[in-house]
Amino acid sequence: MGQPLVQTIHRDPALFWWILLPITVVMVLTGILRHYAMILLQTAPKKQELPKIRQQRALVRGINLRANANVLTPASFQARKAYMVSAFQEGKFLAEPEARGKPRPNPMSDPAAMEGMMGMMKGNMAMMIPQTLIMGWINAFFSGFVIMKLPFPLTPQFKSMLQSGVGTRDLDVRWVSSLSWYFLTLFGLQPVYNFILGSNNSANNVTQQMAMANPGAGLMGPEQDPDKLFLSEAENLEVLEHRWILDGIEDRLIAKMAA
Amino acid sequence: MAHANLLTPPSRIPPQTALQLSQKAPLVLSSAPTSSLAWPLSLLFSRETPETWAIHENLLLAALRTGDDAAARQILDRLTTRFGADNERMVALKGMYEEALAKDDKDLEKVFNDYEKVLKDDPTNMSVRKRRIAVLKSLGRTADAITALTVLVENSPTDAEAWAELSELYASTGAWGQAIFCLEEVLLIMPNAWSAHAQVATLHYLSSSTSVPALTLALRHFARAVELNDSYLRGYYGLKLVSQKLLPLLSESSGSKRNAEEDDIAPPKPQSVQKLEEIATAKLGEIVRQYSASKQGQSGYYEAEIIAARELLDRDGRAER
Repeated sequence: MGQPLVQTIHRDPALFWWILLPITVVMVLTGILRHYAMILLQTAPKKQELPKIRQQRALVRGINLRANANVLTPASFQARKAYMVSAFQEGKFLAEPEARGKPRPNPMSDPAAMEGMMGMMKGNMAMMIPQTLIMGWINAFFSGFVIMKLPFPLTPQFKSMLQSGVGTRDLDVRWVSSLSWYFLTLFGLQPVYNFILGSNNSANNVTQQMAMANPGAGLMGPEQDPDKLFLSEAENLEVLEHRWILDGIEDRLIAKMAA
Repeated sequence: MAHANLLTPPSRIPPQTALQLSQKAPLVLSSAPTSSLAWPLSLLFSRETPETWAIHENLLLAALRTGDDAAARQILDRLTTRFGADNERMVALKGMYEEALAKDDKDLEKVFNDYEKVLKDDPTNMSVRKRRIAVLKSLGRTADAITALTVLVENSPTDAEAWAELSELYASTGAWGQAIFCLEEVLLIMPNAWSAHAQVATLHYLSSSTSVPALTLALRHFARAVELNDSYLRGYYGLKLVSQKLLPLLSESSGSKRNAEEDDIAPPKPQSVQKLEEIATAKLGEIVRQYSASKQGQSGYYEAEIIAARELLDRDGRAER
């Protein structure tokens, strides 16, 4: 007699055809549409100017020198180090030498930064508008329906996740309401998009927005002062201990070949 | 010999391979890369992959090299319709096509002027910059090419290809110091490139084949190349050659107590050099034997290299006899 009572709800088969399927199809199609809309909205990455390229690559050259210094002979390394350190300290490779030592301008007034923000806004809009519309659509037409039963049992904690919009206390957790189905598809369709659109699609921006929380973490983000980067690189070079990798290579090679 | 693959062709293509590659042109050209359907349907039925265009680009290069200009034109048209004539790479590829068709210096000058125009509009187009330098080189204006290349590496000092090219140009004018400097830059970018090590060694050797410090450096760089790749024929060849030159010099200088180090590079011990020479000889012999034992084109070595190695070994054998 310990068997719990199995709830049975007789659902109209039309619920499947007229609610479950439409919501799923609409969600998949919006995702695809959003992907192509994002492609259309994307502006081509702005070309960097020559001095900026030079500034960035000169810094990379300094880093390369520091990382791979051991291929150089001591004399050649000292010469390079002296040149790079003095050039870095003088700010020879700066894209804007006259802006040296001045505080960085407000990113809000920088047109390049504004453009990046606009791009982010566009992405957010492309995500938010369809979401609002579809949610409104579902709320207006399908709210309060129980549309499917999961084939496996779940703990009661899932109740709020699976039965939003259906205010019954005793309903088994396995029943899923239409609004919850919408949320499930909203967050769970990424693999489907990956299958249809390829892996780096922009159909589902939820994950991308999370990644965007930390922008400009790259090598030379717009917030960083290039002059400071150069100065710190010069310091790094100055304290570098140089070891020549070709020192004693003959014996190393002989030992290796003999082994 | 590397298998002729259009998607990832070997970095150095011998003439036969280039011919094999360009003979694939009719096959690639016979199938349309993009769908012929109208716009919305073409999105669904496109057979285009990123590899398609890599294949087209490599095929274009092979066709230009083997003089198959008609095929090259067709491929170029396809690429242009796909990417537009203003695309950075397209400008460079189109220029390359025109360079290949140029009959005399006058035509080349015209291509050169086109490049100048492109660069005036967009000075950051590195591939066109490189093409411009290539034209200067084929016009025989080495000094101008060197100047242009120094401007390029000044603006883009992380470009190993440009440094290597500059080094070659300096070497062709006999400016060994500059050539070595440029190759050291290449090494700083790619510290484990054994070919770059071998090239540095070659330059040290060429710069002075009688001074102990230069030969020591050459020996060490060759040794490093061999250490990085222990089946590197050129490394062993250089190792053997340099140690043969170095040995008599070392015994001389050890006899007449060398004056205080002019360089801070200590010369290697004669015994080590002797041993290195033996190792190189043994390895070269092994490679040559393997080459003649294996089927044609199976061992991964070029015939010319093998012939040179055999000749070096023979010379050695005659001297001993």
